[in-house]
Amino acid sequence: MSLAFSEETRAKHDRLLTRYPNREAAILPTLYLAQREFGHLSDEVILYVADLLGFTPARIYGVATFYTMYNKKPVGKYHLQVCRNLSCSLMGAEHLIEHVAMKIGVKPGETTADGRFTLSTVECLGSCGTAPVMQVNDDYYENLTEESIDAILDGLR
Amino acid sequence: MELVLTKHFGNERYRHLDTYTELGGYEALRKAFSMSKEAIVEEVKKANLRGRGGAGFPAGVKWGFLPKDLSRPRVLVINADEGEPGTFKDRLIMSRGPHLLIEGIVITCYALETHVCYIYIRGEFAREERILQEAVDEAYAKGFLGKDILGAGFDLDVTIHRGAGAYICGEETSTINSIEGKRGWPRVKPPFPASVGAFGRPTIVNNVETIADVPWIVTHGGDRFHALGGAEKNGGTRLVGVSGPVNRPGIYELPAAVSLREVIYTHAGGLKDGKTLKAVIPGGSSTPVLKANEIDVTFDIESMQKAGTMTGTSGVIVIPEGTCMVRALSVLMNFYAHESCGQCTPCREGCGWLAKILHRIENGQGRKGDVALILDVCDHMMGRTICALADAAVMPAQSFIWKFREEFDQHIRDQKCPYGNRF
Amino acid sequence: MPNFTLNGISVDVPDGTTILQAAKTVGIEIPHYCYHPKLSIAGNCRMCLVEVEKFPKLQIACNTHVTEGMVVKSNTEKVKEAVTGVLELMLIHHPIDCPICDQAGECGLQIYYMKYGLHKSRYALEDKVHKKKVQDIGGQIVLDAERCILCSRCIRFLQEVTHTSELEFFQRSNHSEISIFPGEPLNNNYTGNLADICPVGALTSKDFRFKCRVWFLRGAKSICPGCANGCNVEAHFKGDILYRFQPRQNDEVNQTWMCDPGRLEYKRANDARLLTPVVREDGSPRAASWEAVFSAVAFRLWETMEKDGPESVAVIASPQFSNEELYLTRKLAEEVLRTPNLGFSPRTPGNGISDDFLIKADKNPNTRGAQLLGISEEKFEDIVRKVAGGKVKALLVFGNSIADFSEEETERLLADVPFVVQVGTNEGVVSRAAHAVLPSASFVERGGTFTNHAGRVQRFWMGFPPRGKSRNAIEIITGLANRLGAGWKFAGESSVFRAITGSEAPFAGMSYESLGESGHVAGGKG
Repeated sequence: MSLAFSEETRAKHDRLLTRYPNREAAILPTLYLAQREFGHLSDEVILYVADLLGFTPARIYGVATFYTMYNKKPVGKYHLQVCRNLSCSLMGAEHLIEHVAMKIGVKPGETTADGRFTLSTVECLGSCGTAPVMQVNDDYYENLTEESIDAILDGLR
Repeated sequence: MELVLTKHFGNERYRHLDTYTELGGYEALRKAFSMSKEAIVEEVKKANLRGRGGAGFPAGVKWGFLPKDLSRPRVLVINADEGEPGTFKDRLIMSRGPHLLIEGIVITCYALETHVCYIYIRGEFAREERILQEAVDEAYAKGFLGKDILGAGFDLDVTIHRGAGAYICGEETSTINSIEGKRGWPRVKPPFPASVGAFGRPTIVNNVETIADVPWIVTHGGDRFHALGGAEKNGGTRLVGVSGPVNRPGIYELPAAVSLREVIYTHAGGLKDGKTLKAVIPGGSSTPVLKANEIDVTFDIESMQKAGTMTGTSGVIVIPEGTCMVRALSVLMNFYAHESCGQCTPCREGCGWLAKILHRIENGQGRKGDVALILDVCDHMMGRTICALADAAVMPAQSFIWKFREEFDQHIRDQKCPYGNRF
Repeated sequence: MPNFTLNGISVDVPDGTTILQAAKTVGIEIPHYCYHPKLSIAGNCRMCLVEVEKFPKLQIACNTHVTEGMVVKSNTEKVKEAVTGVLELMLIHHPIDCPICDQAGECGLQIYYMKYGLHKSRYALEDKVHKKKVQDIGGQIVLDAERCILCSRCIRFLQEVTHTSELEFFQRSNHSEISIFPGEPLNNNYTGNLADICPVGALTSKDFRFKCRVWFLRGAKSICPGCANGCNVEAHFKGDILYRFQPRQNDEVNQTWMCDPGRLEYKRANDARLLTPVVREDGSPRAASWEAVFSAVAFRLWETMEKDGPESVAVIASPQFSNEELYLTRKLAEEVLRTPNLGFSPRTPGNGISDDFLIKADKNPNTRGAQLLGISEEKFEDIVRKVAGGKVKALLVFGNSIADFSEEETERLLADVPFVVQVGTNEGVVSRAAHAVLPSASFVERGGTFTNHAGRVQRFWMGFPPRGKSRNAIEIITGLANRLGAGWKFAGESSVFRAITGSEAPFAGMSYESLGESGHVAGGKG
């Protein structure tokens, strides 16, 4: 198999295995490591993780497809995840989603042609007091307005 | 008013071990090590500490479910999967006061003879996970975690396990399955986690806030904690979250029996921009909605139940006049349909069906009999499933329709949304 | 032994019994899909909801253990309404495939719909979630994901029984789907069981696909002839053609499973059968009547015994034949032909795969039977040497092949034997070489017993009379023996079995009644 963890990631992985009584429990954290290393969880990556941990590819794929944060397809450099649940909707999330879609020229679920942004709508991000809220990759952006979103997007190069 | 948790949350450095201990942190742990394990559990029972994750189960009673024999090692799981819409309190605790949680974990594990703890944190909380991991590392470095903690001969290992985007993983057996590396499916019960939990071991799953309350209870005693609540069976303060168009959205630490009206109008400053109140979801989206004239109720668990709703996670969502209740319900039903784990028939099919019907009604394609159909589907979901997600979808669906029936009928009659399909 | 009440009936059950299991013991049906007696509890279909006193919510019967004094009701309005509700929800995405679905007639959804549903659909066709149909996922199985009710029996089977986990759940909510990972098809020898345990037409047999509507099939209880494990099966047939094998439950032998190669063994009863007696004169084979062939064979055997002595006659018995047939074979050789040359070989052509589950390397159903009846393997080697050395003038071969010899080797072995007689079921190298072919009845065309590798004597039953002009081998051997003056009076399998139990120590004390449907282990060595 041509795919493999870097030495550094391998070391991280070995350490993480010691926190659990069996290899099965390492599946979720290992998928995160793999996503960080290889970009997204392609079929090839699934096969690699399956082999690494000793489970069937079906088993690993079943876990990967259950959770929304594992990307089975490539995402843009910046994954714009805008909350569309109730508190955020009451605070104008719908307008903001339309605004972003128009600004970057894609619909939710799509990626810009230059690969810079993927736009998604997501469920409650657990920051309702500062709605509307958006998560970009690992970072939260809160109390969003059209102006502040424009500034954020312009700053994401 | 006494603040159990948030007293020092305004201090940027409170999340660091040195500041935390300067301000009295880990004294409760030292005191706990001098108490018997039974005494600690007794204080928690006296405190009437109800689980803060939404179900409100008395923590001391839950701890009592662990088997007496110690031959099988136990596990404590901290449920930091905060995903209930309207809820954002555990995030605050973990980012501003992570050592409160850690101290609570050590005391609890000591009381329950447990040497392994997993903190299950939702995947989206990447920043909070970093802060928490830093705090855990500090604790290990200074001997508050690991081997022979504070020289008291107690060992404890804490591992942070990151979720990956699934609301259902807040259900305790789903949390356990997710820690075990599986799809986040809740388990059929019996057996219950206290007998067969993580990795087959007796396991207790508690919410972040619940465990964060434990140090104060040890320091000041369960009776005082109980008294703080102002309600017979509901002790202590709660972190009440207020969201929606209010003047001061955010988290407020208030006695358990605070009035809902006071929460909205005094602490959160009432509705902003001159709006008036139409409805309130009191305890996270899964709790039955209240009309504007139903908010004179105290927030403790028994009172809320009597009022036909629930305290839940104390996540108050304020809904102003001018909001389409059909659209609001449609947003919630989309949520439950998206988050249903898919394991059992009534939830998997029912949530999806409800979402489809609501979508139709909101978009002017409602059919005669749709409302009766929704209620009928609800009846076939409620109480028929492996876990409470189906119930969580049913309660808003039923209560919205019962209390705002005319809006649903009008959408269907007129074949359009009178609010222009907008919030 | 807790005692509880189910629908007013008092029931005693062993500790640890669930309500669902207890109901079965008193013949009360509690509808269910995901429960299977040999797999772990899933509790996801929610069909088995029942009322249990003191519980505010309905409970699932499959996971509720009976306690002393429990009061359970499965026949109330509340329960019926709940079951109908679950069924309706299960059907909302189900495709209307019945007219083309193999499962029709034995489909869990059809059966329960007729009993508990009979409702009109309230779900629009255009709202149905569509999933991939007709996928070849390897092994003997076709997957139709749209028909799947997600009961997870298949996943649990592959996890708990074969330990190969090729199938898993993918995605979430009502987009959940069971499938294989692309490029990783089913890869074990037990895939056929998936079609059995799937309550609907999501997993179906490739081999059986579109072959026959199940309501045209009848069944006969039988034993798989594929190897020495002796898995209990039910053979399904229409007229005198077999369509499939399905496993029968026998907890001592095969639980509720059988292997993939065994599943296809039924084809041997259909294909290339010997259906008429044949006599070869001057090199060319001619169909003949049983009368004629009995006469011809009996005469030739008698002649050979007279001219060259009984030692020039040899009998190769076959471990493919039943205990009854083998007993008569031995009796023929010892008492009628009076020859010492009687032997058998358990070796067979083809691979001898085996595993630590059901598949045995010995591909014969009755090797142990032959051993216990005193037929020798060493003597077989002896006979082969004598045949090769031209010392055998008349050879009686039971079966369709000889040991594991290739076709060429068999041809060469038989080429110079002046008189070869076959008693067998299928065309092949032996029938082509034989001077007389006596076609015998295949495994569903007569009854009898086999003895499996562990010495378990198990009955199999007749489903339909012997095809064409073939005959029960008991009749054939008796016919030959009596033509040679034996005066036997056996009237079918049971009389032969009685004789066996009377004289053969390992079978002492047995009877067809005592064997029942799950068999009995024979005593003693052989």
